[in-house]
Amino acid sequence: MLKKVDSKPSNPFKNQPAKILKTLRLPTGTLSVDVSEDGKNLFAACIDGGIYRVGPGKDELTKIGQHDRYASGVASINNGKNLVSAGYDGRVRWHESSQQKELINNKAHSFWSWQLAVNEKAGFVASSGGQYLCGGYKYEPKASKEPTVMLFELDSGRLAHALSHIPPVQSVTFSQDGQFVAAGNLMGEVRVWETRTGKLLSKIETPNFTGWGIIKGHYYTGGVFSLFFSPDNEDLYLAGMGTTRDPAAGNGRQLWQRFKWNQAKPQKVDETHSGESGSGLMETITLHPSGKYFVMGGRIAKGKWNVAFFDTKTGSIIHSISTRTRVTEAVFSKDGSRLYLSAAVTQPRPKDGKINPWGRIHVYEVPKVFRAF
Amino acid sequence: MSSTQGKSDPLSSCGGPDHRIHRRMFLQGLAASAASTTFSWSGLFNSEAFADEVSKKQKHCILLWLCGGPSQFETWDPKPGRPTSGPFGSIPTVIPGVHVSELMPQSAKILDKLAVVRSMKTDPTEHFQAIDRLTRGVKTRQPFVRPALGSVLARELGQLENPIPNFILLDPCPEGNEFKAFKRGNWAGWLGAEYGPVRLGGQYRLEDIDRLVDLNSEDQEEREALRKFLSRKYENDRSSKAASSHNAIYERVKGLMSCADLFDLNKLPKKDLERYGPGTFGQHTLLARNLVENGAPFVMVANGMPWDCHVFNHEIYQMLVPDLDNIIYQLTTDLEERGLLEDTLVVVMGEFGRTPWLNSSRGRDHYPNAWSLAMTGAGIKPGVVVGATDEDGYGVTDRKVGSENLFATIFKALDLDPYKKYEVNDLPTFHLVEEKVEPIHEILS
Repeated sequence: MLKKVDSKPSNPFKNQPAKILKTLRLPTGTLSVDVSEDGKNLFAACIDGGIYRVGPGKDELTKIGQHDRYASGVASINNGKNLVSAGYDGRVRWHESSQQKELINNKAHSFWSWQLAVNEKAGFVASSGGQYLCGGYKYEPKASKEPTVMLFELDSGRLAHALSHIPPVQSVTFSQDGQFVAAGNLMGEVRVWETRTGKLLSKIETPNFTGWGIIKGHYYTGGVFSLFFSPDNEDLYLAGMGTTRDPAAGNGRQLWQRFKWNQAKPQKVDETHSGESGSGLMETITLHPSGKYFVMGGRIAKGKWNVAFFDTKTGSIIHSISTRTRVTEAVFSKDGSRLYLSAAVTQPRPKDGKINPWGRIHVYEVPKVFRAF
Repeated sequence: MSSTQGKSDPLSSCGGPDHRIHRRMFLQGLAASAASTTFSWSGLFNSEAFADEVSKKQKHCILLWLCGGPSQFETWDPKPGRPTSGPFGSIPTVIPGVHVSELMPQSAKILDKLAVVRSMKTDPTEHFQAIDRLTRGVKTRQPFVRPALGSVLARELGQLENPIPNFILLDPCPEGNEFKAFKRGNWAGWLGAEYGPVRLGGQYRLEDIDRLVDLNSEDQEEREALRKFLSRKYENDRSSKAASSHNAIYERVKGLMSCADLFDLNKLPKKDLERYGPGTFGQHTLLARNLVENGAPFVMVANGMPWDCHVFNHEIYQMLVPDLDNIIYQLTTDLEERGLLEDTLVVVMGEFGRTPWLNSSRGRDHYPNAWSLAMTGAGIKPGVVVGATDEDGYGVTDRKVGSENLFATIFKALDLDPYKKYEVNDLPTFHLVEEKVEPIHEILS
């Protein structure tokens, strides 16, 4: 375990714990959420393949687009006038939201698009993909026949770079200034490229997010499910689940790790502190706009929380909540006052021919912590 | 003592202290079988002519045991466009109108060689009970332990002269939760030790079976003759079941010493190793084919219980199903090319299916109400799809098939009387399948 930092900055949650404002219900599990810059429009990507505007009225949904398989990602651009979405059909689609019109439909991968990232400032869209196929005696992942991280120009949809990584590549993100793009895979390998040129800059290899089945079956599960760059581009934060003897049980440690990536040998400098986590897969990690704290969320297998807030300086947990759902993505409003969590509960059995909604978006009020940033 | 391990040995690549072994475990497996009641029928094959005749007609069976319970939605019974479908689509097969999961393109090409049952309905919802039911076929009548399929076929199809064990369990994964517990139990039931499985694969190696370097073959034969004489005398004088079981084990080990090469993947051609895929399940399926080709009557291939995906169902199935798909394709075509398919029954199944609904952990749970399996080879009519489930896969709508129907079908396909009586001393009358439950006639050739 890494040494804790001693300084104890003020905890913004001390006087203002995260307060649930509402939980929105969607027809099927919700895998991704985003909010427009002005905070007025909320968008969701769902297991039925639909890309929806959620609200403004209670239970009001407007379908903006449709994927042929699960919709895995959605991003608001131009203050919600346009959307980019990705899906398990391997496609990345551009939409005009008020007219519910599809503008561009790009085939990015033969298999799923696991995750989508958009950086409006740099003008790029990234999609990570690739199928886990048996490549060895221990079921090591087989190398991909095609590039697994695709970069498109945001304005035109034109392919900018097709980048190689060992599949499945489950997560992708841009640095805040758009200078870098990073992607993490099943085996805990993160690659960082320069966005403009597609040049590979760094590789991080961490075995801590991957489990090889001892108990039930011999194969790999886990991986890096989410990641973000620090605002100064010095650090990369990764999230997932700690290694476990029975990866199919999903009971590895709730884990984040922080790396100094841009040096000859990338170095882990911090991770979930001892005694501050339970177990369960963490699917999302994101930084509060103030930069003072970050949030990690997912599923709880054992423990007290499935969404927790960590102090950026110390890495210590400063607040936690239990949503009693599987959280798939966490997004802050631009002013930092709201936290949106996309989520799912167990798919209900049909009642009188109907299946009750099992997608969720939890909306929390959180401390803004104003700071020039 | 010697080992076949080496740098180029795929079986040794698991590495680590958990993956070493294991003369002791190997012998423990034999000893566990020896604990059960023995039934001796060693006189049956004393006639050489009779043995030759049986050898010519011998049927074989390979059970690809998908322990944990594979999802029917991601294999044989996809529900595209329905709320229960999951993230995978379906693809057409060579049989018009029949679709399978898009993860099974190879099986789709040879569906006219397979028979698929889409309407399995069984009772047990938990692994141990379900494994027990689907390996024994019929609900057990306590306190009598019904022998597993492999033990029954070892008795019905096996030959004592054959040095290859009559019931081989290839299972490279040493763990497996409930399957691990089941493996420690009594497979052979009232049939006794000689019908229990010899477990091999992965770290369960054929080790420590070479003749000692300082013992010449004549000395070894003499020692063995003396041991056999003394233990048979003890067995006869006292009607000792334990001595009989120990004798059976000695016979087995002696047989294994003579056919160790058949269990060595490194002795197989590279092109065969490649076609079955690099994973343990494929490699051990190839081993099963090799053993059957050399006379083994029954081989069960397992790999722990990897199909039990309460978490990460789709993330794991995207790999497991294509691997299985290739294995089914390669095994079927390989047996056919070698002229073995006609006499070899292949059964591909687990102990139940998976729920139509997804749980909150992105997985599917146990579901015995409506699930699927596949068969091919000896006695099976190819290109038949039996039974159906409703549009969301919640229940069977046509041709409900239970474990007893399945076992009656397996016995019938192997030219065995499904209702044959077990006449074993001190036991009530049992039948291979009780109450004359009908086989699945539609898939019998």
